[in-house]
Amino acid sequence: MKEQLEEIRRRAMSELGDNADEAQVDAVRVRVLGRSGELTEIMRRMREVPNEERPAIGQLINQIKREVEARVEELSEKLKAAALDKSLNEKRIDVTLPGMRIARGRIHPITDIMEQMLQIFESLGFEVEMTQDIEDDFHNFEALNFKEHHPARDMQDTFYVEGGMLLRTHTSNGQIRVMEKRRPPLAIVCPGKCYRRDDLSVRASPMFTQIEGFMVDKIGRVTMAHLKGVLTQFAQAFFGATAIRFRASYFPFTEPSAELDMHCLLCDGAGCPVCKHSGWTEVLGCGMIHPNVLRAVGCDPAEYQGFAFGIGVERTGLLKLGVDDMRLFFENDLRFLAQFPALSGGVR
Amino acid sequence: MKLPLSWLKDFVNVDATADEIARRLSAAGLVVENVECLAPGFAGVFAAKVLQVEKHPNADRLNLCEVDAGEKGKFKVVCGAPNVHAGMIAPLALIGARLGKEPPLEAATIRGVQSEGMLCSERELGLSQDHQGILALSAAAPLGSDVAAYLHLDDTIFDVEITPNRGDCLSILGLAREVSALFSVKLRAPKLRATHSPESPDAAQVSVTIEAPDLCPRYAALAMTRIKIGPSPAWLKRRLELCGMRALNNVVDATNYVMLELGQPLHAFDWTKIAGGKIIVRRAGDTREFTTLDNVARTLDAQDLLIADAEKPLAIAGVMGGLNSEVSDSTDAILLESAYFEPMTIARTARRLGLRSEASYRFERGIDRAGQVAALIRVAELIRKIAGGRESSIIADFEPRKAEPREITLDLNAMEALLGVATPAATAKSRLKALGAQVTTRGKAMLAVVPPSFRPDLNEQADLVEEVARLSGLEDIPASMPARIATLAVVNPEREFIKGTREVMLGCGLTEAATLAFTAPGENQRFPGIRSTLVPVKVTNPLSAELGELRLSLLAGLVAALRFNLNREAVSFHAFEIGKTFAMEGDLPHEENRLAAISYGTYALAAIGEPGVKAGFFSLKGVLESYLDAIGISSRVSFRPVAEGEAPFLHPGRGAIVMLDGNAVGLIGELHPAEAMRLDLNDPCALYELDLSKFIAYGLSPRKTIEAPPRFPAIRRDLALVLDRNFPADVVIRTIRECGSSLLVSVEIFDVYEGNAVAAGMKSVALACRYRAKDRTLTDEEVNRVHALLVEQARRRLGAELRQ
Ligand SMILES: [Zn+2]
Repeated sequence: MKEQLEEIRRRAMSELGDNADEAQVDAVRVRVLGRSGELTEIMRRMREVPNEERPAIGQLINQIKREVEARVEELSEKLKAAALDKSLNEKRIDVTLPGMRIARGRIHPITDIMEQMLQIFESLGFEVEMTQDIEDDFHNFEALNFKEHHPARDMQDTFYVEGGMLLRTHTSNGQIRVMEKRRPPLAIVCPGKCYRRDDLSVRASPMFTQIEGFMVDKIGRVTMAHLKGVLTQFAQAFFGATAIRFRASYFPFTEPSAELDMHCLLCDGAGCPVCKHSGWTEVLGCGMIHPNVLRAVGCDPAEYQGFAFGIGVERTGLLKLGVDDMRLFFENDLRFLAQFPALSGGVR
Repeated sequence: MKLPLSWLKDFVNVDATADEIARRLSAAGLVVENVECLAPGFAGVFAAKVLQVEKHPNADRLNLCEVDAGEKGKFKVVCGAPNVHAGMIAPLALIGARLGKEPPLEAATIRGVQSEGMLCSERELGLSQDHQGILALSAAAPLGSDVAAYLHLDDTIFDVEITPNRGDCLSILGLAREVSALFSVKLRAPKLRATHSPESPDAAQVSVTIEAPDLCPRYAALAMTRIKIGPSPAWLKRRLELCGMRALNNVVDATNYVMLELGQPLHAFDWTKIAGGKIIVRRAGDTREFTTLDNVARTLDAQDLLIADAEKPLAIAGVMGGLNSEVSDSTDAILLESAYFEPMTIARTARRLGLRSEASYRFERGIDRAGQVAALIRVAELIRKIAGGRESSIIADFEPRKAEPREITLDLNAMEALLGVATPAATAKSRLKALGAQVTTRGKAMLAVVPPSFRPDLNEQADLVEEVARLSGLEDIPASMPARIATLAVVNPEREFIKGTREVMLGCGLTEAATLAFTAPGENQRFPGIRSTLVPVKVTNPLSAELGELRLSLLAGLVAALRFNLNREAVSFHAFEIGKTFAMEGDLPHEENRLAAISYGTYALAAIGEPGVKAGFFSLKGVLESYLDAIGISSRVSFRPVAEGEAPFLHPGRGAIVMLDGNAVGLIGELHPAEAMRLDLNDPCALYELDLSKFIAYGLSPRKTIEAPPRFPAIRRDLALVLDRNFPADVVIRTIRECGSSLLVSVEIFDVYEGNAVAAGMKSVALACRYRAKDRTLTDEEVNRVHALLVEQARRRLGAELRQ
């Protein structure tokens, strides 16, 4: 019986050579270790073994069993590793090929610029209010101190529509709309579309975007110095550190009125053809709210005062983007739009 | 307004450089758009008097002239000009003079006679193309003076943009006043002599009746006679031209000159054409038509203000004179008008007639309320000088309505509160005085200010604050931050909703587009958008018929953008727009916030070896459903197939109306093949448009309550129903939901089959139903029982066969 066991061991170990494949290993495992395998068979015949030899035989059986099991395990691991190796090689890909994707859409530059501006004003404590595009004469002109037949109205060539209404020429109607329903203190920005009778061209568009901002509080709490402060912060946040200046101007709804200029981004104030060699570019109009505007919304100018400003989003956007054609904003050419971010809030 | 530096210096002795003047004016609100330096086209030319003219001994057409150029000396020159005559003063180019690009003038011997110089025509001096004869200078031109300087050819022209509130700066004097205030130099207003009294043989009776004192509070007139109409002297013509006006004749030029100088428009009538010497200022009333001096018959409005005589209208007040009383070459007596007309009436008439003149432009902006007589004196003096003539009447000055006295109190504390910086009383006082205001101190921090008559724009304290601030320079105002008004950053929910909407669209691969709100009527007909019954809003004064209406829908613009990109190398286009559309609601236009999208060409998962998905109804519906999921209202939205004619631009079998709680709020579908063919599109083009305002309302409603995840497992049972192939799937789902017990938590379609295994014209819809109890794990028996019940009920209600 001992010889028989030695033969089983010898045969098994020789068949479990280093080159044995998965089938061979499995065959040996079943033949030697299986439920009706050779070792089981020997165990069954233990009765035939004399008592005094039984422990030695039993020991040998266990030893052979462990040896074969260990060898089978070892070879299986090796085979698995080889198979994995092979599969890894076969599944190798060119990782430089483009991926599968749903392209993310791009934000329109007008939105992008407007959002950047609104975020700055929101962080300065301004609230956003939306108002209407179709307006009546009162809210677009009369209440903003544009008297009927006054030549100031010629500054803005107006589109009229049916029903005796017009398309607002500026978002300044927001001042009136908001102050009609809310009382100061107020710090508001009103973004929106405006319309003026200009053909779509390099410089102008019949529809454009503006942000009207205003702040109203008790006398002395919102001053022209504060207007300068807020707009200086805005210009620095939006354009980066650059020199700005205030210049006297005229708008019917502000008194005093001013124009904010910024050092030309192209020449940084040195003067170039784009800034007509002045070194400055106009950024926005602003001023202290005219007492007549406050009166129009039932606010007593002896008690309240405030400032207002209006920013042209496209015009300012052109300055910032360094492109010079208004039409780009309304053509929707993907070759232009695809250059803008896919995440809002100015994330590049 | 063009401002020649030489003319400015007549009134203010400023020695700053032109650039510095331009900078200071611009900073003070008078933007100098351009500074042009003029250089004369010649040098070495002097005014010389022709003393004697003799025939050239060897040439019929030439003359030999002796000329006196003052301290430059006397010269003999040969001249071929027909107009040369003894006594005239003409420009003399001396040896070495530069004329245009010619080499320096050399001494010449013409037909044997030495010429020591040359008398010049306007063409030779580069002034005009006139070469008819030599240029006749004014008899007042000083002999030997440099002609370039005398004619103001060496000059700097400022092009100043005058804002509508500064009518006073539409004059050289007004701008000079600004310069004097900005540079603190004295203003030298023109000295006015009293007019000459009419001499008895010439005396004319001028009578003025103002029937409309509300429109014309003041009218002054002066008659002159013994006028010789002719060309103006060169220096005057030159100044008019520098200011952009054309010279006509000496009388008209003189009125224009004084208008430019003082800002008071003047008009000269032919005195003999005024019946009875009577001027009547009245509304047009029944006078329906009038021919202006440009020979155009104008239709009048009853409210238009006219200048008339006893028989007929003579002029449209402040806008244009009449052909019937125009000054002509044969005129020898004139009536000069200097009046104040109310800005509103001039603006209304000028606008209605489409007639903008230099005069109406100034009246509209408000001229000096008290400047009428001064201008008459000034122009009379000028006419005497350049057109002969003398006054034949005294100045007839009628002012039926006096100017209201204006006194404004300027509280220096209020000024500080507005500007955020204190201004010393002395500074404020001197600034306002420099502008011509009368200022008196009232107490410690109060000034009583009477604005000058030429500043109608100064009406209240804020106006005075602006004057002081802009003259001091806005740079003096410090920048500081106001106290924060909102203690918390308040977000606008509507804006946040729109931002979120945009994020979902971007995430779904749609690029944001922006299109114009104006469209052609044909486009509105083709793409009426959500409701085909909407009536478009017409623009009363469109830029063109092609932009004659406001858009009913965003879709037309998106389709145009698709076509634009396909024409430029693009093969696919996936875009959305958030914008307003417009429609009439009754008599009034109404606006609506919309979200629209377009999807064309390969949409998703395109990669090497992967064909990708072509955009179509389902890919875009997926985008829309992702959005509805994102805003949490999927369960309230359903899709109803479009009815016949409901959205004619959509494929009739591939279009749906988007219903929110049973109300139509949008549509989705593929473009109608006929429309696609018109646009030359080869692939399906999917579109949707939603009335965003309806969704905003839902988006703003409070969040639904949040539940913890279920603790017990769900058990799935499937069923397959055989139905007519056109039977809508969502009806199946809705019916099953209605039939199911409270244990049924979800129903989903996982397969739709058409083919051999079902009868022709039928489809099999396979559904997964999930059951769950909140408080226990359901047993198979329990689920089987409720599912069997549901299957039987649903089968019966839908009239469907069960597929085994
Ligand atoms: Zn520049």
